[in-house]
Amino acid sequence: MVAASLSPVAPASAASDDEAVFTVAYLNEVDSFNPFLGIEASSFEMWSLMYDSLTGYTMEDMQPAPSLATEWEASEDGLTWTFTMRDDATWSDGEPLTSADVAHTYGRILDGGPERSTWGSYLKGVTDVATPDDTTVELTFDKPSSSMPLLPIPIVPEHVWKDISEDDVKDYANEPDDGGVVGSGPFILREGTAGGSTYTFDPNPDYWGGAPHIDGIVFRVFKSEDPAIQALIKGEVDFVEGISALQVQSLEGQDNIEAINGDSPGFDEIAFNVGSIDTKTGDPIGDVNPAVTDQAFRWALNFAVDRDKIIQTAYQGGGQAGSTIIPPAYDGYRWEPPAEDAPTFDLDKAGQLLDEAGYALGGDGQRTMPDGSAMTPLRLFSRSDSQTSQDVMEFFAEWLDQLGIPHELRSVESNNLTKIILDGEFDAFEWGWYVEPDPSSMLSYMTCDQLGGWSDSWYCNDDYDALFEQQQVELDTAAREEQVKQMQEMLYYDAPYLVTAYSSVGEAWRTDRFACMRPQPDPGGVYLVQYGVYNYKNMRPASEADACAGEEGVTQASSPTADDGLGTGVLVGGGLVLLLLLGAGGVVAMRRRGSVGDRE
Amino acid sequence: MTVGALAEAEASDGHDGPERSAGGRGRSRRRSYGRYALGKTLGALGSLFFALVVNFFLFRVLPGDPGRNLGRGRMESPEDLAAFNQAYGLDQPLPLQFLTFLKGTFTGDLGTSLRYRVPVTDLLVDRMWPTLLLVGTATLLAMLIGVWIGVVGAWNRGGGFDRFSSGASLTLYSMPEWWLGLLLIATLAVGIGPVPGLFPTGGLTTPGVDPWSVAGIADTAWHLVLPVLTLTMAYLADYSLIMRSSLLEEIGEDYLTTARAKGLRDVQVRNRHAVRNALLPTTTVIALSFGWVVAGAITVETVFSIPGLGLLSTEALSVPDYPVLQGTFLVATAAVILANLAANLVYGLLDPRVRA
Repeated sequence: MVAASLSPVAPASAASDDEAVFTVAYLNEVDSFNPFLGIEASSFEMWSLMYDSLTGYTMEDMQPAPSLATEWEASEDGLTWTFTMRDDATWSDGEPLTSADVAHTYGRILDGGPERSTWGSYLKGVTDVATPDDTTVELTFDKPSSSMPLLPIPIVPEHVWKDISEDDVKDYANEPDDGGVVGSGPFILREGTAGGSTYTFDPNPDYWGGAPHIDGIVFRVFKSEDPAIQALIKGEVDFVEGISALQVQSLEGQDNIEAINGDSPGFDEIAFNVGSIDTKTGDPIGDVNPAVTDQAFRWALNFAVDRDKIIQTAYQGGGQAGSTIIPPAYDGYRWEPPAEDAPTFDLDKAGQLLDEAGYALGGDGQRTMPDGSAMTPLRLFSRSDSQTSQDVMEFFAEWLDQLGIPHELRSVESNNLTKIILDGEFDAFEWGWYVEPDPSSMLSYMTCDQLGGWSDSWYCNDDYDALFEQQQVELDTAAREEQVKQMQEMLYYDAPYLVTAYSSVGEAWRTDRFACMRPQPDPGGVYLVQYGVYNYKNMRPASEADACAGEEGVTQASSPTADDGLGTGVLVGGGLVLLLLLGAGGVVAMRRRGSVGDRE
Repeated sequence: MTVGALAEAEASDGHDGPERSAGGRGRSRRRSYGRYALGKTLGALGSLFFALVVNFFLFRVLPGDPGRNLGRGRMESPEDLAAFNQAYGLDQPLPLQFLTFLKGTFTGDLGTSLRYRVPVTDLLVDRMWPTLLLVGTATLLAMLIGVWIGVVGAWNRGGGFDRFSSGASLTLYSMPEWWLGLLLIATLAVGIGPVPGLFPTGGLTTPGVDPWSVAGIADTAWHLVLPVLTLTMAYLADYSLIMRSSLLEEIGEDYLTTARAKGLRDVQVRNRHAVRNALLPTTTVIALSFGWVVAGAITVETVFSIPGLGLLSTEALSVPDYPVLQGTFLVATAAVILANLAANLVYGLLDPRVRA
């Protein structure tokens, strides 16, 4: 084995370079190829390569777009939706893809069990799935559903899955043995296991949307960022997904590499404990500081957060200052605070608002409660597994200091924080959410129904809940957008969350390898791990980049240069330091030994 | 396997051995070794069962609820969460879960991973090979090179080689493994100046190459060069320093003077007499470090993206993925206990004094 490793074997990767195989350095592994089981975003990417759904998403703003379904229609009362499917879709084993496959897939989810966990929310209110013919699917609802016609559920082949019982599905891996996994998407999974380190896809030449222009995709899982970046610089991989803003900066100016911070549809926030209760008895739990249960107190602190500073330092410039829970990517649903109440950093204003609310400054420079008693320190929490979280809370603690608000900051593991939140043993913490294109899920986390569930601020407001119910059944998009905006306004002024930032995702790729990729949302978004697989289908090898030349917003190719960019000065320096250290260590040891020897 | 070992130990007690024919003294020594071996084996079995119980409860004490940690932002309603917990038996009372775990473990079923939703035994087998290859090779290399360095260094104490090797191995020992790994990647994998990028930046194989073909084996070896080099350098001092100091202890002994007086050459004195006696402590260290092989090398596995057991268990902690944690810890504890047992048994043979 030693002999083999020393023999100058040419790395076999060189062979695959001649083919246009798109190699992605992935920082997150796939947790399951079974679309009913996995949870990681990386797994969703795999399923959308393997399977189609009835409807997908647009590139501009992630609104419902045709996929297997070419058109759809709702009945007058909104209780019946009829989808017309294309008739030229087939499974990779040659069987036709029909409405029966859709009915089978949806049936599994509606039956409950593990399949329900991930996809149940898209079929909320569905009472029946009918298939009058091979290309028609009719969904019957018990009440209108505003998330329709959004149905990104991967459709699985009935002829393969009908033998997998409810009990077996919970550990059904759906991985290829010999030959690929039967799917209908633009690529066929050839190799890969859950938690494995490479996933290989072949193009599907018979794909209804046209065969992809590349010869395949390989996802290589890297467990840390730096080696992935090195692999990109070397050219071992063509794309690096999910890197930090610092790494994006470090890649700027490298030949044939483009690096961006793409807007990711999510936000981070400082959340308050609005009033934790035992959900069975309704009694308060967790000794919440009465100050944070007071809207006026929380509202004042909205002006004690320097969002710009947070973005520049804690987020290293990758991200945008936050305000409400719907990120700018979802233009239609997003509410903007009016200029006079915009979340500016103004400690004087915050102090003045606190004074008005009765939290006066005492002689010792500390604020007191409205009844004059001393304020107990706020219990603040950051997540020890996120440097950003710790940085943000340390800043926040400093600003609280300047306002004269006592506090104790602790950093705990996310795992641990989940429990602390459920027990109500906190006054404020830092965390974040991803926001799906349909805002219902995010909005639901702030409803009373979620107390003791996914609610983490213990916020409960009947007016908000009433609006939530309304927007769930509102089929007129404009009217629903108005309701969603009202809900954001309520949340903004009630301030259970101080939204600090809209985060971004760093991505970098080799422009001398592939071109013709589009961001989502367009412009400003990410190029991989999008909603849908537009880029995998449409990207082209750099040599064929003429096909998309001149198209607006797509990535262009650079001509390959003879010599690759060498490692950065830092790394050369590092190497020298290593040599020096070894030398110095040796010399020091020699000296010491020498003197001991002399004395003896 | 442990039951088999036990039976063997007892059986060998009654067997005819060379000592038996040597008379009563040999016989009593034999019997006392059998008793010693039996005691050690039973002790090991006890430890193993204790570890099994601790494994279960230790991880349940960890803060964190797998369903909540995995389902954040995915499972929208409390019912979705309940469906998950029910499917994976997490809604059962703890004592019942413990019984299921015990029953499963004794029938070879370690349960289903909560994160990957595949049988834990499959995961363990998949991840075992990369770890054995990486850590096993590195341990073996470090051992051979380290013992050699220690012997040569001690024999010529204070010489140029000794000073340099002690300094260098200590420096490498105190260097963070991930940093060493990153430096090797930046220089030997990416290439700097005149140094070409020879090796891959990470992973264990090139996708699409059959790992069991000749080219595949060479490819795997090629991928392993840098990580094995990193680990070997980091482990070197473990062996070289122990070997060096135990050999130094022997150097002043009278029997070496005797050996020299007999007219033996220096190399013979060293290899036949001094090193043999000095190997005893090193043997213990070696046996124990082989026990640790399956625990993996978390940092090096991370830097070089090698899907080994070390990574598997660290990642399982964040869920927490109870069945995976129980599985990896069971394998790791069993390996250490067995290696300990092996060291004890060998020691008992090598040095009769420890049997008392």
